[in-house]
Amino acid sequence: MDGLFNLWSATGLANLTLPALAMIAVGCGLLYLAIAKGFEPLLLVPIGFGAILTNIPVAGLADPGGLLYYVYYIGIDSGVFPLLIFMGVGALTDFSALIANPRMLLLGAAAQFGIFATLFGAILLNYVPGFEFTLQDASAIAIIGGADGPTAIFLASRLSPELLGAIAVAAYSYMALVPIIQPPIMRLLTTEEERNITMPQLRAVSKQEKILFPLGVLTLTLLFLPAATPLVGMFCLGNLMKESGVVDRLSNSAQNEIINITTIFLGLAVGSKLAADQFLTVETIGILVLGAVAFSIGTASGVYMAKMMNRFAGDSPINPLVGAAGVSAVPMAARVVNKVGLESNPHNFLLMHAMGPNVAGVLGSAVAAGILLALVG
Amino acid sequence: MDITALLAQAANLMLTGMVGVFVFLSILIIAVKGLSRFAAPAEQTPPSSRRTKSKPTSEEQVPGEHLAAISAAISQYRNQHFQSEK
Repeated sequence: MDGLFNLWSATGLANLTLPALAMIAVGCGLLYLAIAKGFEPLLLVPIGFGAILTNIPVAGLADPGGLLYYVYYIGIDSGVFPLLIFMGVGALTDFSALIANPRMLLLGAAAQFGIFATLFGAILLNYVPGFEFTLQDASAIAIIGGADGPTAIFLASRLSPELLGAIAVAAYSYMALVPIIQPPIMRLLTTEEERNITMPQLRAVSKQEKILFPLGVLTLTLLFLPAATPLVGMFCLGNLMKESGVVDRLSNSAQNEIINITTIFLGLAVGSKLAADQFLTVETIGILVLGAVAFSIGTASGVYMAKMMNRFAGDSPINPLVGAAGVSAVPMAARVVNKVGLESNPHNFLLMHAMGPNVAGVLGSAVAAGILLALVG
Repeated sequence: MDITALLAQAANLMLTGMVGVFVFLSILIIAVKGLSRFAAPAEQTPPSSRRTKSKPTSEEQVPGEHLAAISAAISQYRNQHFQSEK
């Protein structure tokens, strides 16, 4: 009889708690969004599955000694996984549009206002009972506005590891929702006439410029903002491997195998942070709301900056829509700009013009993360 | 720490952060412009090579027979489309 009782007490049925069940449902929800709706499936499949594994009773996969615990400890606690992803993203990025029209960097800078305004908003939320965000927490939440998954995970792992699960889920969910969040804001802040503006064709960029660009960015980071070097440095390494053309094998590995393997384990490790006691809190709701606010403010400030630049642009006008692409989220935000532009003028293809602010946004959010690390970390 | 002091810190961080991002990326703009000036220009395809391949006489104008064929195709399509809608 004792044996039977012991067996029963080792089953999941006997140990399943309501919060754990709720988190398994959250994991299934993420899987549904990824598989049925196609929302960021590369990340949400491993995150959702990781969330289910983490909340399986008795197994203790995310407890010390469990597989997911070690994956998190090795990959995210150390900061290695987001940086490896950043190297892959660097190897996938083409900076031609930005080198041809460097003014677009200002749009990438303006869109980062979403981050810093949300930081203020997160602290304001402390007036609501139940919220107790420190400056570190607020900075980690605000980086969702950078619309850059690896940057958000990197900064959260440095500043506020206990909020990492909610921050990563919010960041990737909103990145998938860019085509829904951005267009209404873009239409609201621009006139039909502005959306019709055709931009001059970009000049061709030489190979030498493309090779020197990552080295230049690295030099500036080294001189002015060493705190951003982990992110920017790996990004520049990936980009240099691609543009130099002499290490195609390494560049291909960074773009495919390394980024894919890392994505699986990064997702699982983020999923391991979706334990009931950490995720089912009022703070998670606050983070989800703040994330949406950060995205919206970032989009709006990018568009406003583009409108202002257009006023002083002279003979090479700027379509204010491209400002919305300043919020990183490559290449989704640029595609959204192209789509909204085509609605106003079916012959106005803004994709290449939007890629400039889009990759500027990646640099901008990495720089913003470096500033937050330097000042708050 | 009370919330007012935190808010003051956050506001300070907002200002410093935005100034920092703008200054950094503005320096990068100058650096990229300098780079473009000193780096070798992109190789342009010589315009003469394109000219030799295409017909020398009909560079700008579409030949009359092509125009006729295109307009015939359009009117045929319109007729079919119009009928199918009926």
